[in-house]
Amino acid sequence: MTQQVKGAAMGEDVVLDVRNLTTSFRLAGKWHRAVREVSFTLRRNETLALVGESGCGKSVTALSVLGLIPTHNGKVEAEHIHFDGRDLTGLSDEEMREIRGNGISMIFQEPMTSLNPVLPIGFQVAESLKYHRKMNKSEANKAALDLLEQVKIPSAASRFKEYPHQFSGGMRQRVMIAMALACRPKIILADEPTTALDVTIQAQILSLLGELKRDTGMSMIFITHNLGVVAALADRVAVMYAGDIVEIADVNSLFARPTHPYTEALLRSIPRSDRDTKTLFSIPGQVPPISRMPEGCRYAARCDLARPVCRRLDPALHPIEPGATHQVACWVRGGHDLAAIEERADA
Amino acid sequence: MTSDAGGLPRAQASRSLFLDQMLRAFSSNKLSWLGAAIFIIVVLMAVFAPLLSVHDPLAQNILNRLEGPSAQFWMGTDAYGRDIYARLLFGARISLIIGVVSIVSAMIIGSAIGIIAGYYGGKIDVVIMQIMDMLLSFPALILGLMIVAMLGPSMENLIVAIALTAIPPFARIARAPTIVVKERDFIEACRALGYNDLRIMLLHVLPNVLSEILVMGSLWLATAIRVEASLSFIGLGVKPPTPTWGGMIREGFENILDNPWLSVFPGLAILLVVFSLNLLGDGLRDAIDPKTRVE
Repeated sequence: MTQQVKGAAMGEDVVLDVRNLTTSFRLAGKWHRAVREVSFTLRRNETLALVGESGCGKSVTALSVLGLIPTHNGKVEAEHIHFDGRDLTGLSDEEMREIRGNGISMIFQEPMTSLNPVLPIGFQVAESLKYHRKMNKSEANKAALDLLEQVKIPSAASRFKEYPHQFSGGMRQRVMIAMALACRPKIILADEPTTALDVTIQAQILSLLGELKRDTGMSMIFITHNLGVVAALADRVAVMYAGDIVEIADVNSLFARPTHPYTEALLRSIPRSDRDTKTLFSIPGQVPPISRMPEGCRYAARCDLARPVCRRLDPALHPIEPGATHQVACWVRGGHDLAAIEERADA
Repeated sequence: MTSDAGGLPRAQASRSLFLDQMLRAFSSNKLSWLGAAIFIIVVLMAVFAPLLSVHDPLAQNILNRLEGPSAQFWMGTDAYGRDIYARLLFGARISLIIGVVSIVSAMIIGSAIGIIAGYYGGKIDVVIMQIMDMLLSFPALILGLMIVAMLGPSMENLIVAIALTAIPPFARIARAPTIVVKERDFIEACRALGYNDLRIMLLHVLPNVLSEILVMGSLWLATAIRVEASLSFIGLGVKPPTPTWGGMIREGFENILDNPWLSVFPGLAILLVVFSLNLLGDGLRDAIDPKTRVE
């Protein structure tokens, strides 16, 4: 299995292709875009990390792909979201439900509250197998027990009928992972799955996810604000800021050459044990609120390198060198002819 | 691994949280045990009524009319010479059946309505709850009176009438916790697993709001028995000669000054059952009170 998967990963088979995804929310009668024309692809057995600070649209992007944005005050538009040969944008609720939990599943941030407190955990893991795979009770229970063992719940058989309150946070997150894995989805959307856990447990969950990814050949979109996690787990990284992907690159390239000023600043804010620092670097200011997004580059107000043009024109993703897969949305650093652009902006 | 495996099972390893709460409440509140005991005894007496009385509740004997309590007729006889004790036992059957059937159906229908309203929210919620509020604005007795007056007095119509009056309160009691529960993360997780709304409501919302509904059920069972008695008392209940507690009070009422036991015994029976159900309900309510609930 592993061999085969490796071979497949070499090829360019794309399991998810999102093109120009825009998600808007209505606030006080006006529509505001929380995610703006985001495009990315995810290959088989690849981990794409979505990185950014709170409110930058990471989770909204994931929820939009799954069609979980509430329709009464939210709106998802996209040129296409290709998954497994189908375009998810035009699917009915019924068709989307078949994909959720089955083709694409999600792991949530809060293991303490993401399990139903009144149902035994074994039941909750078996439930999606009964629902999607039409298994009978004994088949589903057996498969659920295998899953709980796969996510390394100690003495899973005897804990099968226990309730979530009898589990610790890390154990609950393992149960959540078992639930997400139940139907062998092609993609797992992990929305900050380790944020609510303490550091030693984080490491265990991350290595578990890495192992499962290797064994099952699934792809993963990993949402986090923790760049340490990114370095450990991701194959490719998309840095988001205020609803835009501002930089996308494979993980080595990004850490070797962080190009967008925001990415650079994020990396500088990581405390490092090999440097003697009295104060921790932090990025001044905060993400502008969704109802008052500035014109031009949304990071310009917090950027040391900002030029007048940055406040007027919105940069698009652009390869840092001709032909490079490392792309960045920045007028100053993005490999643009800055003089020509400024001239055009003035004209 | 050490800290991760720290979630050792608590004392009662695989018992449901719900059951735990109920038992804890019962053990902390002695009166709820008393209520449960009284109610169970009454139910058993109703079930085994033919074994517990030597007389036929319908057999008239004009020679023994209006006799006081004696060794032969423990609670005396009524104007037709029928044994009050036997009628009380058989009357318990009718009163309990009417109460339980009407409240269980109201519980099912009302909870369904309330959960649907709370879960979907928006216009559906507004329309449903407006209708419920409209029904709720009538006192249970008046609404029951109207319905029985329209449909005619019979046991089935009495059940329909009581059930209809009890649906709105159950809808309300189910809706409120549903609104809280549907915002919780595990419902979002259910959606992310692709479950449809019906499954989420039945398997994930309902068990989380069930305790509230059950408490309400025990309190409303007492109300149903009272309403049945009231409607029977004013002659809109089950037709004579079938004994019901309310009907017996009304029959005895005609001779209440000379032969008070005719009304006193069925009155005491109603009092006892309503009292026991209220004790039970209070105990259950303590059990689900968030202040006494242990996370």
